[in-house]
Amino acid sequence: MTEAPAKPAGGGAPPLRGRPTASRLAQYLLLQALIAALCIFVLRLPLPEPASRYLVSDFSLADRGETRSVTLPDFVPTRASMSDSALFTGRFSWSARDAGSGWSVYLPRFTNGIVMLVNGVEILDSRRDSMANRGDRATPEIALVPASLLRDGENELTIRLFVWGPISGFLDKVYAGPDDALRPAYEQRTLLFVTLPVVFAAWQGILAVILAVMWAMRRSDTAYGVLAIAMTLGAVQAFLQTTIDQPAFPVLNATLLAAAPLESGCVLAFGILFFTRKWPRLWGPLIFLPGVILVLIGLFGETETLRQSFLLLGIPTLGVHLLVLAAIVGASEMRRQDVPSLLLGCAITIVMTSLAHDMLEVAKIIPDHRIFYTRLSYSAMLVAIGAGLTFRFAQALNRVDGFAAHLAIQLRAAEEKLKASFAREQERERAAALARERARLMRDLHDGLGGQLVSIVALSERDKDSAGIGDAARAALKDLRLVIDSMDDIGGDLMLALGSWRDRAAAQLRPHEIALDWRAVPPGLPVYPELRPWHVIQIIRILDEAVTNAVKHAGAKRVTVSIETLESADGERGCITVADAGKGFAVEGDRRPSSRGVRNMKNRAARCGAELELSSGSGGTTVRLQLPRRFPEGDAVAG
Amino acid sequence: MTASAEQVPAQQITVLLVEDDPPTLWRLQDALDKAGFDVAAAATLAEARASLAARTPRVLLTDLQLPDGHGVDLIRETRARLPDTEIMVISALGDEQTVISAITVGATGYILKDAFPSDIAATVRDLVAGHSPISASIARFIVRRTQASAEPPPGPELNTAKLTPREIDILWGIAKGFSYAEIADHLGMSKQTVPGHIKSIYRKLEVHTRGEAVFEAVQQGLIKL
Repeated sequence: MTEAPAKPAGGGAPPLRGRPTASRLAQYLLLQALIAALCIFVLRLPLPEPASRYLVSDFSLADRGETRSVTLPDFVPTRASMSDSALFTGRFSWSARDAGSGWSVYLPRFTNGIVMLVNGVEILDSRRDSMANRGDRATPEIALVPASLLRDGENELTIRLFVWGPISGFLDKVYAGPDDALRPAYEQRTLLFVTLPVVFAAWQGILAVILAVMWAMRRSDTAYGVLAIAMTLGAVQAFLQTTIDQPAFPVLNATLLAAAPLESGCVLAFGILFFTRKWPRLWGPLIFLPGVILVLIGLFGETETLRQSFLLLGIPTLGVHLLVLAAIVGASEMRRQDVPSLLLGCAITIVMTSLAHDMLEVAKIIPDHRIFYTRLSYSAMLVAIGAGLTFRFAQALNRVDGFAAHLAIQLRAAEEKLKASFAREQERERAAALARERARLMRDLHDGLGGQLVSIVALSERDKDSAGIGDAARAALKDLRLVIDSMDDIGGDLMLALGSWRDRAAAQLRPHEIALDWRAVPPGLPVYPELRPWHVIQIIRILDEAVTNAVKHAGAKRVTVSIETLESADGERGCITVADAGKGFAVEGDRRPSSRGVRNMKNRAARCGAELELSSGSGGTTVRLQLPRRFPEGDAVAG
Repeated sequence: MTASAEQVPAQQITVLLVEDDPPTLWRLQDALDKAGFDVAAAATLAEARASLAARTPRVLLTDLQLPDGHGVDLIRETRARLPDTEIMVISALGDEQTVISAITVGATGYILKDAFPSDIAATVRDLVAGHSPISASIARFIVRRTQASAEPPPGPELNTAKLTPREIDILWGIAKGFSYAEIADHLGMSKQTVPGHIKSIYRKLEVHTRGEAVFEAVQQGLIKL
């Protein structure tokens, strides 16, 4: 059977939510009509036949005591007894010249069983071929006639036709000819009507296993369980041995052969559960009623009754089930426009078309060739179910992958955020601890040491001789303020530390009548996030030393502090310059200011990774402190 | 500070000096006396209250740690009762702990206890002329408080919600050591208006009642949320 290609209309088109339902429905119905038309076209295609010159068409039929001459194909009525067969007798000619090639008799189609004799010798009994005994499979038969049986000239061909219903006996055209001329047609029919159904039955068996496993793992998905039952029924039925003479369990055999309505009921139940997601408690069980009745008849009734009721009850049930299923799947396709619904919808159309074809044939409304396609077309549905399930599975996997990827991204983001917030938290903890410590220290110093130093300053001022003590106490106070000040969190903005230092330096210079010329242009220096209090102390002490030198040794009237950011090839660098217009000194010599002081300044600068340049001449002294691009974490110079 | 205004003769400026450490009191009084101010002195809170009841000084200079109480209470009372009196706190270290708590009750500056006599006189004169001094470290403390942070840094409570962006910019400039002229130039304003802004900053940092302080804290908390 041709797998209907779902090319037109909504086949591959993405779902369009805004489209009115009516147009969508029309599209869907048009597609189904196209498929049905294609199906009919395929069903009416002629089957392969050998050359007509090998046709044996004139037979005399001996049936129920009457003898008449017939032209095949011919029908004989159903009979009750297996021993009562219709006897067809015909002739074919064979010449001894044909002895080189094997001579065969080919029977494309018959119902239900035949025994073939050539010149009175039986050469074939189809009843021993279980495939041939199934009415739903158009099994052909071919028999090689032993050369010793053949006579030159006319040969007699006798066919006994056994009929066991439920439909009338049928014998299609018979061919007698060279084996190599007949066999290709036979092989093609075998492939189509014997091998293919077996292949699909195997596929149905695999589906049954897959669905059963799926249902076992996901008990809540009843739909899969129901479909697994349907597939199991179908697979068992397809592989059932149907020997007529001595079936092992005749009752069970007959019952299973009549299980098709039960199978179709299960498929319908699956459709309802899968596509509507709710089970109609009221009329749901009615789906299985015909199937159950047939099984009961099979188990307790006569085989003949079962055959008749299968024809009258079973086949229409199949039709009804298919119609309901088609409606459900169609509605689902209208609602969701997904691939499984579309595939199954098309497959149902194929099966329905085939069923209609077969019923019309049995009713002899269309030419009856006794070729039944329903079971074969059912494989389209199996393919659709398999494809639909795989599609759903792949879709679920994609969704899981997407979810997992999304989760991984979210997790990574959360991790980053957590890390950043942890680092921030640590930084804040550190700053808060420092601030608390500073506040405590400040309170202590303010209440104790600070007041006492102020008292010393005050006392020393009363007595002109103790001016040195006052200066020392003042210097101690200044240093105390520097230490407290540099412990403050300035967020890496060195300008904030320099601002307080400016106040202190100006206060220090004022009594000596030295002006502080502060040259800074906003924004001043770059921000150093890695700046720590100990860096600040070192820098401020260097500047203090430079200013103190200017006061003590230079005799200058003005100290200039310049703060600037220098643009260099490798980025911005801060630079602080303290210059006085005083006497100056020899940089390299041992003369004042003490070389120890200069060494100290250089040492402090090195520990901060800064560069200190000292130049002195008659024009005054300049201390130039070039800040590093990045302040070192630990002491750059130990000690 | 910078230029000192000389509109009011020093003799007419009455100063009440409250300081419990005798050498320090003597030192400050000496500096102010020599500059020509009319100085009254008190060593305790009680003496200071008695002096304030007898005479309204133009300027009040007070230490915070006093033997019979806290200078903050004296500042608050004076601010409420004598709105024309300028108030300054005397601090050993000029630390924000002392200065900010004084500012929030109405002080508009501080003098270091070890400041040179000339500086002490100049500061008082500037204050009377309407120039509230503000040091870089105090400005720094205030602007650091204007920055959003999860938990308030330790130290005195300070509500900076009322400060305008311009005032905060000025405080940043002072904290970084820029002169009034540089700040004014950078912010595109007149140099003369800077002292007015600083006075306004002091007034905005003042908390008038305890209830208001709580209300504003809650409001700030809500804003942060």
